[in-house]
Amino acid sequence: MSSKTLTKADIVDAIYEQMSRNRAEVKTHVESLLDIMKQSVKKDHSLLISGFGKFDAYDKKARKGRNPQTNQTIVLPPRKVVVFRLSRKFRSELNPQG
Amino acid sequence: MNKSELIKTLAEKNNLHVDEASLIVNTFFDSIKNSLVKGERVEIRGFGSFKVKDYGGYTGRNPKTGDVVDVHPKKLPFFRPGKELKEYVNK
Repeated sequence: MSSKTLTKADIVDAIYEQMSRNRAEVKTHVESLLDIMKQSVKKDHSLLISGFGKFDAYDKKARKGRNPQTNQTIVLPPRKVVVFRLSRKFRSELNPQG
Repeated sequence: MNKSELIKTLAEKNNLHVDEASLIVNTFFDSIKNSLVKGERVEIRGFGSFKVKDYGGYTGRNPKTGDVVDVHPKKLPFFRPGKELKEYVNK
């Protein structure tokens, strides 16, 4: 498997190549897009991107945990976690044979 | 929120034409998709990272009928929320 990693800068470049705007401006828009995405996950608890997938934020209840080093019992506070659910279309693109 | 609302919000917030906002949003997700299909890792600082995991095939059973079925090997992407996103949703 390839060890290459796609980063934000690569995405900015890909958009920049298709737009008549300067790169700094494109970068600002991408940062802004990420802010809107974060706000949407927080506010609506869900962000649906058709053909890609869905980001869901769900509540986790408080639970008892233990510090394995000291064996001390602690209560882990309730929190929200974000999960990604893959769309069927994307799934079939990743697995073209079936 | 869905993708068209995301495009609309981006256009309004940044004074962009909807076509431009749509190009940004679509290229953003298409780039991620293409990299994952190629087996590459994706890392978006502040938001999260994606990695594709390979699952081997196995022989399963239809629990209703008991029929033996071959489950093919598959690839599934995994998303790990970044520190900033985790903290943001809990704020």
